[in-house]
Amino acid sequence: MKMDRARSDPWQTEEEAESDAVSAVLAGREKHRKNLIPILQEIQHKLGYLSEAAMEAVAEHLSISHSEVYGVASFYNQFRFHPPGKHQIKVCLGTACHVAGGGIILENFERKLGVKAGETTADREFSVERVACVGCCALAPVAVVDEAVEAHIAPSRIEGIFLGFQRQKEQQEKEVREGELSS
Amino acid sequence: MNFHPEKLPQERLAALAEDAKRRLAAKRRADLPRIIIGMATCGLAAGASETRAAFEQALAEQNLEALIIPVGCLGHCYAEPLVVIENPGFPPIAYHSVTPGKAKALVKSFLAEGDPLFEYVLAALEENDLLPSIADFPRFYLEQRVVMEKCGSIDPADLKEYLSRGGYAGLVRVLGLPPGEIVGVLSESGLRGRGGAGFPTGAKWELARKVEGSKKTVICNADEGDPGAYMDRTLLESNPHQLLEGLAICAYSVGAADAVVYVRAEYPLAVKTISRAIAQAEQANLLGKGILGANFDLEVKVFQGSGAFVCGEETALIESLEGKRGMPRFRPPYPVEHGLWGRPTVINNVKTLSTVPAIIEKGAQWFRTIGTPNSPGTAIFSVVGNVTRPGLVEIPMGTTLRTLIFEICGGIPRQKQFKAVQIGGPSGGCLPESLLDTPVDFDSLTRAGAMMGSGGLVVMDEESCMVNVARYFLDFTQNESCGKCTFCRIGTRHLLNILDRITKGEGREGDLELLETLGRDIKEGALCGLGKTAPNPILTSLKYFRSEYEAHIREKRCPSMMCRALTAYYIDPDKCARGCEACVGCCPVDAIFTAKGRKKAIDQGLCVKCGECVVSCPPEYDAVKRVSPAHLAPVVERPK
Amino acid sequence: MVRLTVDEKEIEAEEGQNLLQVCLENGITVPHLCFLEGMENSPASCRLCFVEIEGMDCPVPSCQTVVHDGMVVNTQSPAVRHLQRSALQLLLSAHRVDCSDCPANKRCALQQLAKLLGIPLKVKHLESLAGEVDTRMGHPLLAYDAGRCVLCGRCLYACAKHQEHPLLTFVRRGFSTRVDFKGKTDPAELPCLACLACVEICPVSALGFAGKTLGAA
Repeated sequence: MKMDRARSDPWQTEEEAESDAVSAVLAGREKHRKNLIPILQEIQHKLGYLSEAAMEAVAEHLSISHSEVYGVASFYNQFRFHPPGKHQIKVCLGTACHVAGGGIILENFERKLGVKAGETTADREFSVERVACVGCCALAPVAVVDEAVEAHIAPSRIEGIFLGFQRQKEQQEKEVREGELSS
Repeated sequence: MNFHPEKLPQERLAALAEDAKRRLAAKRRADLPRIIIGMATCGLAAGASETRAAFEQALAEQNLEALIIPVGCLGHCYAEPLVVIENPGFPPIAYHSVTPGKAKALVKSFLAEGDPLFEYVLAALEENDLLPSIADFPRFYLEQRVVMEKCGSIDPADLKEYLSRGGYAGLVRVLGLPPGEIVGVLSESGLRGRGGAGFPTGAKWELARKVEGSKKTVICNADEGDPGAYMDRTLLESNPHQLLEGLAICAYSVGAADAVVYVRAEYPLAVKTISRAIAQAEQANLLGKGILGANFDLEVKVFQGSGAFVCGEETALIESLEGKRGMPRFRPPYPVEHGLWGRPTVINNVKTLSTVPAIIEKGAQWFRTIGTPNSPGTAIFSVVGNVTRPGLVEIPMGTTLRTLIFEICGGIPRQKQFKAVQIGGPSGGCLPESLLDTPVDFDSLTRAGAMMGSGGLVVMDEESCMVNVARYFLDFTQNESCGKCTFCRIGTRHLLNILDRITKGEGREGDLELLETLGRDIKEGALCGLGKTAPNPILTSLKYFRSEYEAHIREKRCPSMMCRALTAYYIDPDKCARGCEACVGCCPVDAIFTAKGRKKAIDQGLCVKCGECVVSCPPEYDAVKRVSPAHLAPVVERPK
Repeated sequence: MVRLTVDEKEIEAEEGQNLLQVCLENGITVPHLCFLEGMENSPASCRLCFVEIEGMDCPVPSCQTVVHDGMVVNTQSPAVRHLQRSALQLLLSAHRVDCSDCPANKRCALQQLAKLLGIPLKVKHLESLAGEVDTRMGHPLLAYDAGRCVLCGRCLYACAKHQEHPLLTFVRRGFSTRVDFKGKTDPAELPCLACLACVEICPVSALGFAGKTLGAA
């Protein structure tokens, strides 16, 4: 998640923080319809998704209806309307990846996490998406896990990816525990 | 930057170039070795960052000094991470697949001890007595680089590099000419739009130049949506200033003061590179107000496309720039008359604009010496799929598919047979072996039933199923259809459903005829280019590979054993090695169990047909087999 | 003024007019769904108003064709009829044909078009793509049946014409495109009850009042 968790006011709710973030984005943007998509992109970059409240604020800023904002946003693949998982897995299903078995890779992620493409796990840890092409066709099949591109990914590699996350999480928890003990 | 209002643009550019050369020389001592690393998206995906870190660490450990220069992409994706080392006393040498381990070895052996490690060498970049050079390999000598000339040899983050190699000279030349003359040069050169349809660029600019209207806009279409093409991304990431120069020449010729580069948001590095390049060019007065002292202003902005293939269609692209749903408008009126905000708008592809500076610099006649009379110049293809050396290839138009696939890209790996080549992505078609001698140019490909399209070229071997591939493309267009017009929205859905049934063994007699009639109606009836070309993958594969469709429908058999519903895996007990567990560990669904005699067998009810067991079974046993139709697989009961 | 020939009949039209409008004004029937008389820029999305024009190699949508002097038009050529039937069959294949339960019965645009083009309402060679009945919608006063909707966009046009900020929009895309509303759900804050132009204009009764089922008129 891109959301800045370090809030100045510890009592501020998540909604209030989101609303502040949206206001900050809108403050820097001219009130013109041409800015609709760039504004939505920036909000999603900050919040990780487009909330109802955010879209309403955008509509007001640009003097268009909430319907219009949602109509535009829902047209494009990029926009999400639910918060994504902490880790985002994007499986490329471009032509080269398809021929090299990208579909099988996607299925393996889906099976491992028990969700379908476009969904987020119940614990909000992972979300899985299919993407049209990340432009690494010579390295097919490819998946993008968070920011890193996994080249020539095999079904057996998927287990390893989750093992890595597991380790990372355990390490973090250990550090938190140790921190608590020492304080 | 010093400002000399009295100087002519030529003098100003010369001063800029001189300054760039001087600063580069100061930054890069000539006596130091240079390590040039390809760090575009595919290089990074293959681990170029780790390689770079390894070089830095090894240099520190060996206490050596060398310059590390990040560059864009050379197009040799099969060899990534690709590194060129210029060690004084040696020719520049390209190394392939440079892992961190190889990086350390190169520093130690080559830089410290002078042994160039022949086993890691791809080729030397210059002819020499020591080792083979690129002139000996068809992957290099059959190419002709016009647009990609500087890709992979300059640092895309540094305007000085482009300037020191004669960059922006084309722009300076046009600033002294009347726009009509420049458009004349373009028309004479015969350049055709590289976005797919091949409309003559000169004619488009001429229309835009003549149309009335003070506020005109130029758009660079970098919404590269074909799911198998990435040359636009590479050009943006590897040589952004060449594109900006072309864009400025276009704007000057048609009389525009505004320009937009429309890039897919899925290409974050390209967005970053082009945005930085624009800022640098503005700073150097190569863009912005009163460019190089001439009476010409150009403001360039970057717009990020939000993930809609249809926005590659120019009217849909305009809709999305206006903050609307990216649904195509009916043409005419064409954007040249009525485009962004109703103003005259010229939309050109990245490759088209990137070709322009070379034409201006070297002339229309020179350009016409490359390629064919009707399609002059070069074509850039991304050759991927079942091919030995995938990557980006720039060839003169008119080169045959056979040369491209077999000589330049090394043919089909693993001793498999060539089956088909898919050209032009979701709008293109699949061509069989018998058409491999087709020259690649706009007209020949269209005649063969494919199209130049975006230049995506996917090579398929005998294990690729044509029905499955057609289904894949229809799935893609169906997902990307904007939903506006009846034929595309509902028609392609029917096509997809029929193909879906066929690949699952539920095909019926009459399906093929229905695919053909419906496909032809969609081609004729759909509103935009996306819809009109959507049936192409089906229509061409039906034309050239009909028997495969028939095998699926009549025998429930997938001849390439790619359609999973029609295929089954089993383990040949005569070949399986007693006690070997290789396949068991890799099966993601625990479908493999130990049967009689400690041999392995597959539980057909659990198997998801991912093929991992085939890969993991040691080649000396080669015990995992595939069959189609699926019922031919012997059933082995799992012991209770 | 320009003079043109449509189906061997000579007619006069004003310069700059679109061909479909001219045909309709002269009593020449051309099937259409997304175009409304007086519309400035037709979406050209329904793909029904095809005509054949002498000198052009394939049929063109008449709603986006500007008339010119000497134009020779055929509105009923075999190629035209073939495309129109194909388009209508596609629309019907995605439409739940349950006319006896539908308030649009007997005045439905699809029924009229099918009659005109001589095809049955049930399309045999295409499987039905119409989903189950689901009339939920974001709008508190309206009900929307995606299984009936032909996405002609007339409701959006009417809404934009009557309201400063259109309340209806297309959402999602491709085959999942539907008409929807987002925003305030308090009916008192919406101008809709006094307007209902969208319900009025729907040619297939895909939009109606919420509360009442769409089944009963």
